[in-house]
Amino acid sequence: MKRTTALLLASTFTLAATPTFAQTIRIQGYGGQDPAIVQRLLDEVIGADLEAEGITVQYEPIETDYNAVITNNLSAGTAGDVFYMPGEVAPGFIATGKALPLNDLVDTEPFIDSLLEVYTQDGQVYGIPKDFNTLAVFYNQDLFDEAEVEYPSADDTFTTFTEKIRAVSELDDEIAGACLPADFARMGAFAYANGWQPFNEDGSVNLSDEAFTTAFDFYTGMVTEGIAVQPSDVGAGWPGDCLAQEQAAVAIEGAWILGFLRDNAPNLAFGVAPLPKSDTTGERGNFTYSVAWAVNADSPNQEAAVTVLEALTSEEAQQFILEQGLAIPSREALSNNPYFEEETPEAQANLTIFEGASDGNVLGFQFGNVGTDYLTPLNNAMTAVMTGQADTQGALEGAQSELDAIIERAAQ
Amino acid sequence: MAQAPARPLTNYHGAQDIERWQARRRWARAGIVYTVMLLFSILFLGPLLFATVSSLKENPLEYPPTLAIPQLSPRNWSAAASLGRAGAGAPLWGGFAPGAEVPFEVTYFVPEGLEATPPAVSVPRRRPGGGLGAVQQIEYAADYASVTPAQEVGREPGGYVDEDGETLTGEVVTYGFRVLYEGDGPKVDRLPVDVEVEERDQVFVSSTLALSRLERRGRVASYDNLAPGALGYTFNNYARVFKEARSITTGRSLFLSWTLNSFVIALAKVVSTILFASMAGYALARLHFPGKNIIFVLILFAQMIPGQVNFISNYLVLRDGIFGLSRLWGQASLLNSLSGVILSGLVGAGAVFIMKQFFETIPREVEEAAMIDGTTQWQRFFRVVMPMARPALGALTILTFQGAWNDFFWPLVVLTTPEDIKTLPIGLLTFRNIYGATGDWGLILAGAVMSALPIIILFIVFQRYFLEGVSYGGGKE
Amino acid sequence: MRSKQQEVVAAYLFLAPFLITLALFFLYATVRAVFFSFTDYDLFNAPRWVGLQNYANLFREENFLFALRNSLVFAAVVTTLQTFGALVMAAVLNQRIRGLNFFRAAYYMPSVTSSVVITLIFLWMYQREGLFNYLATQVASYAPQLGVFALLLIALQIIQVLIERTRGYPARWLDPALFAISFLVAAAATWLLTFLGILLPRDAEVDFTWLQTSQEVPGAFPMALRAPVPLIAIMIQNIFTTIPTFMLMFLAALQDVPKSYYEAASLDGATPAQQFFSITVPSVQPVTFLVVTLGLIGTLQMFDQVAIFGNAVPIRSVITLAYFVYQRMFPGAQLPEVGFASAAAMFLAVLTLLIVLIQRRFIRSEAS
Repeated sequence: MKRTTALLLASTFTLAATPTFAQTIRIQGYGGQDPAIVQRLLDEVIGADLEAEGITVQYEPIETDYNAVITNNLSAGTAGDVFYMPGEVAPGFIATGKALPLNDLVDTEPFIDSLLEVYTQDGQVYGIPKDFNTLAVFYNQDLFDEAEVEYPSADDTFTTFTEKIRAVSELDDEIAGACLPADFARMGAFAYANGWQPFNEDGSVNLSDEAFTTAFDFYTGMVTEGIAVQPSDVGAGWPGDCLAQEQAAVAIEGAWILGFLRDNAPNLAFGVAPLPKSDTTGERGNFTYSVAWAVNADSPNQEAAVTVLEALTSEEAQQFILEQGLAIPSREALSNNPYFEEETPEAQANLTIFEGASDGNVLGFQFGNVGTDYLTPLNNAMTAVMTGQADTQGALEGAQSELDAIIERAAQ
Repeated sequence: MAQAPARPLTNYHGAQDIERWQARRRWARAGIVYTVMLLFSILFLGPLLFATVSSLKENPLEYPPTLAIPQLSPRNWSAAASLGRAGAGAPLWGGFAPGAEVPFEVTYFVPEGLEATPPAVSVPRRRPGGGLGAVQQIEYAADYASVTPAQEVGREPGGYVDEDGETLTGEVVTYGFRVLYEGDGPKVDRLPVDVEVEERDQVFVSSTLALSRLERRGRVASYDNLAPGALGYTFNNYARVFKEARSITTGRSLFLSWTLNSFVIALAKVVSTILFASMAGYALARLHFPGKNIIFVLILFAQMIPGQVNFISNYLVLRDGIFGLSRLWGQASLLNSLSGVILSGLVGAGAVFIMKQFFETIPREVEEAAMIDGTTQWQRFFRVVMPMARPALGALTILTFQGAWNDFFWPLVVLTTPEDIKTLPIGLLTFRNIYGATGDWGLILAGAVMSALPIIILFIVFQRYFLEGVSYGGGKE
Repeated sequence: MRSKQQEVVAAYLFLAPFLITLALFFLYATVRAVFFSFTDYDLFNAPRWVGLQNYANLFREENFLFALRNSLVFAAVVTTLQTFGALVMAAVLNQRIRGLNFFRAAYYMPSVTSSVVITLIFLWMYQREGLFNYLATQVASYAPQLGVFALLLIALQIIQVLIERTRGYPARWLDPALFAISFLVAAAATWLLTFLGILLPRDAEVDFTWLQTSQEVPGAFPMALRAPVPLIAIMIQNIFTTIPTFMLMFLAALQDVPKSYYEAASLDGATPAQQFFSITVPSVQPVTFLVVTLGLIGTLQMFDQVAIFGNAVPIRSVITLAYFVYQRMFPGAQLPEVGFASAAAMFLAVLTLLIVLIQRRFIRSEAS
């Protein structure tokens, strides 16, 4: 009897010697395909180590408008200890004062500088990029084969790209050459290729610049000519849907399309090429889209939260995510990964997207303190032109005056 | 109703003759009225019924829409049942279990001049659907299945009408294959199969079970589940609502949580509204006190001011736990909690108004008799007045329940994360966002139909109160 | 005296739960919204007084102007059509026939289910390859049949009425018995013509974009009076859902109107249309007032449909004032603009009150 008590006491003692409390760290991020990615990362790679430190991690995906919901949660104090900070809204998130500055807590050295910059304000880093994405041309090989058109390639310019799209669209009335949304988040890459910048040095925007208008005409022209469609024209939700349903031969998207294709068109024979080059500058343009992990400044378990953030962005974690073909790592050291050598279409796609980040005029998908409001007038102008309700000049004049007003209000 | 003719009649018809003529007219009139009413019924019930039927389809966006749905065909039911039995000995819900041997046949049309080649059959590693379903760790049939090569089992001459309306002649060839589960292992829910031909001129015609979709321009016939079982086949979308949409943190079915939350909120609101609205309505109808008029005006305004004006402050009030009061029971914030939604909607101005109107119709004498007995105000209210208010309370219960069950805006503001905390209407918005983007309308419609069921059942049972409620408050709370 | 005081105390005790709710979630909330509308509050930083800046900014914000236009057009069109439609339906339903209860229940079904369910179903039907386009395609394809049918129907009816009149019966132009015969004969004839291949369906394909379009109609009208197509889609859905409720309210009122009025009018030779305008409409005047008021308040707050249609439509085509307020409160793209949202909310509140007051005046004066 005495011995049992002693044993019990001893075991209590050893238990007390290991970390005292089991801490639960809540992390919040996108819904959609992300839960699968993050959950597998937790289960298969970093979960066990964290567990050993007494930290349990719970992923809470937000299936509806992430940015709005997380703002709401940050204000209510119900946000997760660690949360996604999308690059395009980073200035707004930082302004809430709820994102913890990380300079003294996390080693930012190994991460790609241009990605870190998006989350830096006044020398303080507020988020560690978890991965990134750029745009590439995804095409349906069967359709190109049937139409006997050469696949899109790295040598394509705006002109030759348009020719291929036109040729493939002649295959069948039901099939469009490309599926292009009225979205500056796609079309902008071509304006950048022409050398256009989203803001002038004085903070204003110039939509009448020829570099912008020719890219605008190139992109919207394919739709007005009838060789490309908008997703909604064929009842699709987005270009990935057009591609999966074989309604269009080409979609211009990022690596996020891979998971969608795997789920919705598992047998699709697709290929990937870099975006076409500008006819005038001979350069490519692109956006880098990135999302960072940030730590909630109100978190009661800040120390553990930082540990989790470090684990989430660790080399092992990024290696795993890359090998699974899920996303592209934000650590410089991983750029020579053997995964990129693999022959699968998914590995090829990831390589193309990885290389897209350093090929030509590449800018982060971010529009200062205007946030994504920057896009609204531009997207409206594109819709108007692509549906034939306005010509380029008229649509862009309207967009220009709207943008001026938005920028002015944001500057107040 | 004896109806005298409107105008003097010409002389050669007797009164009896005219009466018969008028009777014929009345009959025709009744017939037309019924026809018109039936047409209205189709108009108002049509969308609901059509959506219900289409929610069974694999792809409700199929065009042209048709009521000839594979999921409603007895031939497919029996095929699905026998495949389910072959797969896991489960004719109802199907599956793929050790020892299974699933026989299957696919028929192609092969035009003249083309060599008929057996298709390649494979069991892909495929996750069940996008979105939330992709998270779960599942067993893949691919890890346990083996497929016998497809062999020709039948061939006969036949024709085929292609897209351009041209009739091609050739042969109709049927191939058979078996999917086997050898050795030991777990029972797997689904058995996805791809059947691929090399030439897309060899056209898919039919198969033992209707296919899920054709891919690669007709080359691949894809089956999401080759051994679904009869119910698993017919109610696939409904099963998916429960199976796929699970909370990643708790593993519980989201749809069940949402239903439960909706019930809790609706019942709590019904109880508090019944009690507080009749108390307030009674005071306003019967008692004399200063400030009555001001309260009236406030009630009127409260019904007119849109919720979007007050939600800003109300959101903040809940965020701070009603001035920190909620800390008393351990909640720092009432956002993302059911109690927040309930506390902010204890009693609406509309409900008070309805009860006040009702109490004014009850004769005073009844109460006065009780007053002589020396009862207190409370006793009189609970023992004498409330029992008389039963009809109004019935209507108010229904109105409140319906309002709470269908409420969208306020829960949307208050309940954002985690997904488990939502109510049905905003949960459906989550479905719409996840599955609408991928065109997966089957799951959305199935969810919508199920979320409407409780209120429709309630309506059928308590129809009288619903219709009475309309005359009280015009369907507004 | 004592009992009077007791009564006051009792009254306030009875009212206490309601008054507390009202004070906190309505009075306090309204006052706070007014206060916020003069500040730049953003949920995170302390509010700063900015005077009328937010109100001035409202009219420089394109989305607000669209929201204002959409809300007003929506309220006007939907309230008018649903009131009129509900009244007509109630008049049709106001019969003493067997099975009325079944029909009443059937019509009420859309109003029972939540707006989310109905909106989702309509959203699905509005898809490019959805039921609406399919039905339109059918109508367009069978237009020749419909045309022939209509012509036959009219011709047969005229012939029959003339024959009956020459035989000395008091047949009206819309005599139901004759109409039933005309209808059946015309339908049979049309079917036969189609069956024999004399009358062929057209090869028509209606592919109307309900959702992803920024088209506005009628194109000839100035901006402020046009309705975007996606907004019309919501109007149709909304009318569909609300007509039954209002129809029942009218029906309750109509059943109190003595049948003898209609019989008398019928004897005087009044047509059903004349009866509708001279008996039905005036006798439900108070209900009409209520229906219009409820309709205006409801439509000016339209929010659910915008949120559910979401990215399926261009936001500008469907944004309403109510949604604008919500969107500025939780913009996502930047810090919440609580002050700006409050200003828009105040505008919506005042607009609602004004419109309700105006229609009150308008309908009153017409009644007197």
